[in-house]
Amino acid sequence: MSRQSRARRLGVGLLFLLPNILGFLAFILVPLVMSFGMAFTDWDFLRHNLFRHEPLHFIGLGNFARLFSHPLFWQYLGNTFFLMLGLPFAIAGSLGAALLLTRAGGARHRIKAAVVLAMVILAGSGLMLLRGGMAESGVWLFFGLLAATTLIAGVLTGGMLYRTLFYLPNFTAGVATFVLWKKLYNPNTGPINQALAPMLDQFSTWVRSMPGVFSFGLPLASAGLVMVVAGWQARRLRRQWDQSEAGVAAVIAGTVALVVPLALLLGWWGAGAGPAAAMSVIVGGVFAGLTFRRSRVWGRTKTADKGLGTEIALAMVLIPLLLLLAAGIVLGPSLPAAAAAGIEPPDWLGSYYWAKPAFIMMMLWAAIGSNNMILYLAGLSSIPPELYEAADMDGATAGQRFWHITWPQLAPVTFFISIMSVIYGLQGGFEMARAMTLGGPAGSTTTLSYFIFNEGFETGRIGYASAVAWVLFALVFGLSLCNFRYGSRHVDD
Amino acid sequence: MKRLLFISFAVLTLASAALYWTLPDQTSKVPVLYWITQVDPVKLETIALFKAWLRDRGLPPVEVRIDNANQDPTKKLAQGLSGVGADLFDIYIFETELFSHSGMLMDVTEAAQAGGYGPEATYPALYSDIMMGGRQFGFPRNAGGNMIWVNQDTFARYGVPEPSAHWTWDEFEQLGRKLVTAANPPGTRQRVYFLQGLQTLSPMLLRRGLGLDILNETMTRCTLDDPRNAEVMRRQYRWVAELHLIPTLAEQKAMAADAGRAGDEWFYLYAKGRYAMLLVDRWALIRLREIGKLRSRIVEPFNSGFRNMEFGCGVIAAYAGTKHPEEARQFLQFLTSEPFNLLIARSGDSLPPVPKYAETEAFLRPPDHPEEWAMEQVFAATAPEIGIAYARSPFVQTGTLFRQVTGIDQQVYDAVMAGRLSPEDAGRVEAARIDAEIALNVRADPKMRQQYDELVKVQQKIDALRAQGRPVPLAWITNPFHRAYYKARGWLEEAPKP
Repeated sequence: MSRQSRARRLGVGLLFLLPNILGFLAFILVPLVMSFGMAFTDWDFLRHNLFRHEPLHFIGLGNFARLFSHPLFWQYLGNTFFLMLGLPFAIAGSLGAALLLTRAGGARHRIKAAVVLAMVILAGSGLMLLRGGMAESGVWLFFGLLAATTLIAGVLTGGMLYRTLFYLPNFTAGVATFVLWKKLYNPNTGPINQALAPMLDQFSTWVRSMPGVFSFGLPLASAGLVMVVAGWQARRLRRQWDQSEAGVAAVIAGTVALVVPLALLLGWWGAGAGPAAAMSVIVGGVFAGLTFRRSRVWGRTKTADKGLGTEIALAMVLIPLLLLLAAGIVLGPSLPAAAAAGIEPPDWLGSYYWAKPAFIMMMLWAAIGSNNMILYLAGLSSIPPELYEAADMDGATAGQRFWHITWPQLAPVTFFISIMSVIYGLQGGFEMARAMTLGGPAGSTTTLSYFIFNEGFETGRIGYASAVAWVLFALVFGLSLCNFRYGSRHVDD
Repeated sequence: MKRLLFISFAVLTLASAALYWTLPDQTSKVPVLYWITQVDPVKLETIALFKAWLRDRGLPPVEVRIDNANQDPTKKLAQGLSGVGADLFDIYIFETELFSHSGMLMDVTEAAQAGGYGPEATYPALYSDIMMGGRQFGFPRNAGGNMIWVNQDTFARYGVPEPSAHWTWDEFEQLGRKLVTAANPPGTRQRVYFLQGLQTLSPMLLRRGLGLDILNETMTRCTLDDPRNAEVMRRQYRWVAELHLIPTLAEQKAMAADAGRAGDEWFYLYAKGRYAMLLVDRWALIRLREIGKLRSRIVEPFNSGFRNMEFGCGVIAAYAGTKHPEEARQFLQFLTSEPFNLLIARSGDSLPPVPKYAETEAFLRPPDHPEEWAMEQVFAATAPEIGIAYARSPFVQTGTLFRQVTGIDQQVYDAVMAGRLSPEDAGRVEAARIDAEIALNVRADPKMRQQYDELVKVQQKIDALRAQGRPVPLAWITNPFHRAYYKARGWLEEAPKP
């Protein structure tokens, strides 16, 4: 090919690429560089715009200094992390859904026939009830028949329908979903509270009839379970240390998973933030110190961070679990009094304390059937069947098959999903807050991304908003690095 | 491949050209003004009247098109500052200060004086709504404030006496308890509330009733750490959360769902007797006339010593970057015309922007609605008498959008309702945060700093005089509430000019 011809081909190629390159430059690279520069200025679009040309000042790290001394920044950062507590459950849910959907197609013909027959009987009974004047139950029948039809169609299509249904939330536009959930969460007329109300009434009756069981039994049972879980984690950590499977950093991370719920529990009991934190640090310090003094069978680990990834992943599950149990300890004694007045369903989006959990539940619904599920489905289909056949021949149970084949084989997928989920979690929350709560009540659902929008587009402080955005970037980058550094080890293994 | 590339390029260019030539601006032979406002019959009639007004004065014709898709303040601001704003904006409560501060509003001071639509053409209390730093940035399209609508049939049904024209917090609570008890049998879900509107609105009305405003006399410092603010929050909590005289937001939603309506459920529920009273401006007539004839009375908002009501207006302003500045100014001038003011009067909107039209027969005795005549008298007489404008400090965007004063107010109120903050702590938090905003703005702008320092010195002089119980010169006070309050208490050195 002649030089002239090569130049022409290059020119044509560049022409094709030009729109994309121009788009990238105009909408990504230039704004990115500009926002970095703006983060160090006092750019306020009320004073620096088309109509007002006041001089722009370079203020160095002023925006960052202001940000870190701003009490609301820490509240909003806390909100962002709180909403991320649902991530491990979302990932586990996606995996569970993928596993179920992989099995859905495997139903035997006799089971299919039985399910179809049962559904036909159910539908027939429903129609007979309807004809018999049970018009008030029409809505319930409708939903029952809908569920039955779904089940029948799912069985007949070998799971394809379920895959589609599970993935549906991903097709739906975000704002429409949020409006729908807003209706679902309506404290008086929403179906969630309408379903909860009779259950809570029944629960209140039980509590009133057996006050001792709930005021003493529930806290005792919760405390017992806390001891079991905490004891298991402590023993596991020491064993890992003894066997040189955990380095210093891993033991510290594992200890943090134990003491964070302790600090919160003490805080709930009114110990005050300072004393609660101090007590937790002392307990954690003593435990870690005693662990570090133990001799190790296999000598010192090569690196202090050995096993850190495992401990961080475990902490993400242990902390919410221990918090739930701690809530049982704290709430138990006050349950009889609450039941006497009647336990009301929560005001999901209007209550400071329920708004974040309400967001987490909604995110779980969306995340379980999301792209994560598709990735797990792809991952599951790529596991060589010989591994399962070999396990079957060795007499492995279903649990053993999962822990020793499925889970390790899915490690690269899990790693990718966890990276993406953390990034999404840190950046997320804006659309939900904007559509459902406007960041309230009392800022309880304002995340960092919503804070950036507020500062940038409602207050007009573009420079400051850019600084917040870059701090968010640093957080995302830092956590992703940690994930790569410690999480990828399992993938390599 | 090359051919495909060039064909794509040519098609896109042609499509762009076709789009450009079919734009409304290109197809119209007369100047087109885009007006960001709601689409409703009154707006359409306004446009028709404007065209007739131009014709009568022998002025060249102008086309006005409504843009109702960009009413969000953030959109208006972003578009305006990007150079693509609409020619005319409807501006609500606090937007004037934000938009004028950014420079995106046309300064019409001289043109308004020449065209007779300066601040003296409207209510004196609206001065701060259209004037910023002594310059004019628009003209009101209506004026008014929230009064209390009493459904007389509801009070009669439950045998509860109606409130008097001037009433106090204690009377409000006493009557409210009677009505709520009589209307809601024990053991049933509450279906009737005494008043709708207060909780969702600013607590400014209650604070002012106690002689307190968000900002001090010179608007240099927040005064919400005052014990009177805690008293207001405590009262609100009592009326909303404990006595259920006013519905919580959740209860309001439940009521709306019961009514099976969205948007106009307040009026529907008021007509049905489920809200015995409404706190809303005269424009409620537009909605209530659609429902039917009701026996209603208008009374002043209840107070705790100082009669007052929030008085404000909807402003129309012109865009500084408009391609048709002369036509935009003509539109503002048209707002003082008789046809427009009488349209506002008969449509049931708030008060007409030019006060003399609220004294006409068309306003006071609309022929089709004799049942409204007594109410119109109250609106025409009371609003200008006790209405006080919002305090607009040059040092903080008072309530602009959600982030500042209003946002902080709401956040703190939510925290009190959730039991996370005591009313006293809430007041301290609120004051500290608003003062921090003032400090931040002052630090960023040297000119503002100078003005601020001067006013702080004036404030110190005011505080010293008040500590000695001595009167204060009116000229020292910039906060419209304190000007009215000082006058009512006789704390002024000189009588204000009428």
